[in-house]
Amino acid sequence: MPGADPTSSIERQEARIAWALVLPAVLTILLVALFPLAWTVWESFHLHDLRMPWLGKPFVGIDNYVEAFGDPRFWAALGHTAFFAVTSVGLELIIGLWLALALNRAFRGRGLVRAAVLVPWAIPTVVSALLWRFMFEGQSGIVNSLLVDLRVLREPLVWFIHPAAAWVPVILADVWKTTPFVALLLLAGLQNIDASLYEAARIDGASAWRQFRHVTLPLLKPAILVALIFRTLDAFRVFDLIYALTGGGPGTSTEPIALYTFNALLQNLQFGYGSALSVIVFAITFCLALLYIRFLGAELTGARR
Amino acid sequence: MLHRWVTSVLATVLLATACGGGTSLPGPVVVTFPISALGAEGQVLVRQLSRFMKEHPGIKVVQRVTPDAADQKHQLYVQWLNAGASDPDVLQLDVIWTPEFAAAGWILPLDRFLPETAAFFPSTIAANRWQDSLYALPWFADVGMLYWRTDLMSGPPATFDDLVRQAQRVRQEGGPRYGFVWQGARYEGLITTFLEYLGAYGGRILEGGRVVVNSGAGLRALTEMRDEIYRYGVVPTTALTWHEEETRFAFQNGEATFMRNWPYAYPLMQDSSDSRVAGKFAVAPMPAAPGGSHTAAIGGAQLAINRRTEYPEAAWAVIDYLTRPEQMRERAEVVGQFPTRTALYEDPDLASGLAIPPAMVRRIIEYSIPRPVTPIYTQLSEILQIHLHRALTRQSEPGAALARAQTEMQRLLNRVGLGTGEPVARR
Repeated sequence: MPGADPTSSIERQEARIAWALVLPAVLTILLVALFPLAWTVWESFHLHDLRMPWLGKPFVGIDNYVEAFGDPRFWAALGHTAFFAVTSVGLELIIGLWLALALNRAFRGRGLVRAAVLVPWAIPTVVSALLWRFMFEGQSGIVNSLLVDLRVLREPLVWFIHPAAAWVPVILADVWKTTPFVALLLLAGLQNIDASLYEAARIDGASAWRQFRHVTLPLLKPAILVALIFRTLDAFRVFDLIYALTGGGPGTSTEPIALYTFNALLQNLQFGYGSALSVIVFAITFCLALLYIRFLGAELTGARR
Repeated sequence: MLHRWVTSVLATVLLATACGGGTSLPGPVVVTFPISALGAEGQVLVRQLSRFMKEHPGIKVVQRVTPDAADQKHQLYVQWLNAGASDPDVLQLDVIWTPEFAAAGWILPLDRFLPETAAFFPSTIAANRWQDSLYALPWFADVGMLYWRTDLMSGPPATFDDLVRQAQRVRQEGGPRYGFVWQGARYEGLITTFLEYLGAYGGRILEGGRVVVNSGAGLRALTEMRDEIYRYGVVPTTALTWHEEETRFAFQNGEATFMRNWPYAYPLMQDSSDSRVAGKFAVAPMPAAPGGSHTAAIGGAQLAINRRTEYPEAAWAVIDYLTRPEQMRERAEVVGQFPTRTALYEDPDLASGLAIPPAMVRRIIEYSIPRPVTPIYTQLSEILQIHLHRALTRQSEPGAALARAQTEMQRLLNRVGLGTGEPVARR
């Protein structure tokens, strides 16, 4: 507070009023954000298994964390999550950028197309997951029929029993659903770019590729970063899509960390262990967010300079 | 919560009017019973409970609606019981929950009410025992069985070798494209299928506090399941994503020669408007193999009493009434559920009610075994599901999968103090 003078009674009063005014907000944040978080951290230091009340609820220190870090299924789930995040966000960014560039052009019916592109985004995740499941399921699902007719496959493939093939519908469903969101963010970024820059580039004889490379991309960077943040954090917490599509199978080969946590917490009712997993997921997403914010902050100020 | 509130308000009002009237009669004892029975099943229950209340004017049974899905129901029960609520008083349990709730101290041992355990099928009673006490009474039984096509063969296969031969012959003669379909997705159903193969070879999953699934019998059973998929081509790979309903659809569309399923499928597939196999199928026990016998996994509903109930006697009266032969016969007639009392199978009236000949039902129930009776069944099942599914999808070899499953399951049992087979201290 610059110029705050404790001897001035008016300022003291103002400070009090200010505190009184922000108090509800602070209390709300404490209640809905910090309290549950602190509670989860506290739970994570206990052995608390609702199915085994005879074990009591002893304090076990970091045992739950040790158990998680020693569990191959935990590391596998973390690996699956990272794989999913990188692959799906990468594809969404590339296709989204291409889509945004296309939508940025003036053509008849642009408004309609822009709205239509958003349809997959508007469909609830579980519904779209089931949609993709039906398309990939069985011997006579549309994907199998199509691929066999096109002679890509000699015989129908049971996608959901192959550890690698099971990822195809998962990634496709996510890309299909969230690319519109990325495209929209990038489109907003594109429209912020001054048209005179392209004019100048054209006069200097820059090719379309060079214009894209040296005008569009650098100026689109902030929008790309915003899209990246949102999508990576979302992808890292992926749950409903995989829950409905593969259930984490075959075996556990498409199980993401959120599904593993859900299983421990809500299926097995292991509150202590599940809380420890939740804290780990929270820590990872928090670090990712911090990293991005630092990066993005630098980019934004860099762009202004 | 609202129900409870309404109930207590009602009780207060009743009490107030009773007092105001100057009578000394106490209001009726209110017993709550959460139930998810839909349609005809719900109607039978309402009928039976109103008859019960006529017979016991001092007891009022209040039904409380719960979710139908087992997982959700389980979660709800655990929340109630863990919070020490005194109602619901009577609980409808899945067969695999009884030991869990018993060990947690959430349900009352029933021995003091002297239930006639000898009148029930032994496997249905065994599933409801924990540490030498009976904690729930079997209400109706579900068993895994083999559905076979009467138009494609003269009799059901007695062994898995037999089944494979028949399925291959039928296929060569231009029969259904799938030989044998079962529940192979990674979920509880896979365990019941595996249990029946395992029993056929004489194996078990758990003995006391010891996991014994990694045995010669276990290896033969899992290898047989895998071979039926990849070597003999009898079970389609797509069955590894299937639950009960997918297998039923395949069988009822005439796409499968054999199916493993529960009894619920029988009446549905007899309806010729939906089913292409109406009148062309029958059931038999699942096949046997050298070293073991026919085996059926047992499921169904059990009735138990909340340990914190204020009215244990009244709750018992409800359970006792609902598990009487007359009520069981009525349930069998209206909804086709299998009674758990052996004597009913001698009753000629049962034959007219059940779609499946009672003698066959009885034979299959007599082959039935419970899934491992342990408070941590659900966690053990999850571990086993994962390793079985990995082996069946060829991510690991059967021997290695069973060895890892056994190690992980035993470690879990030991960690929670159930591994040695010694009794668990109850609080």
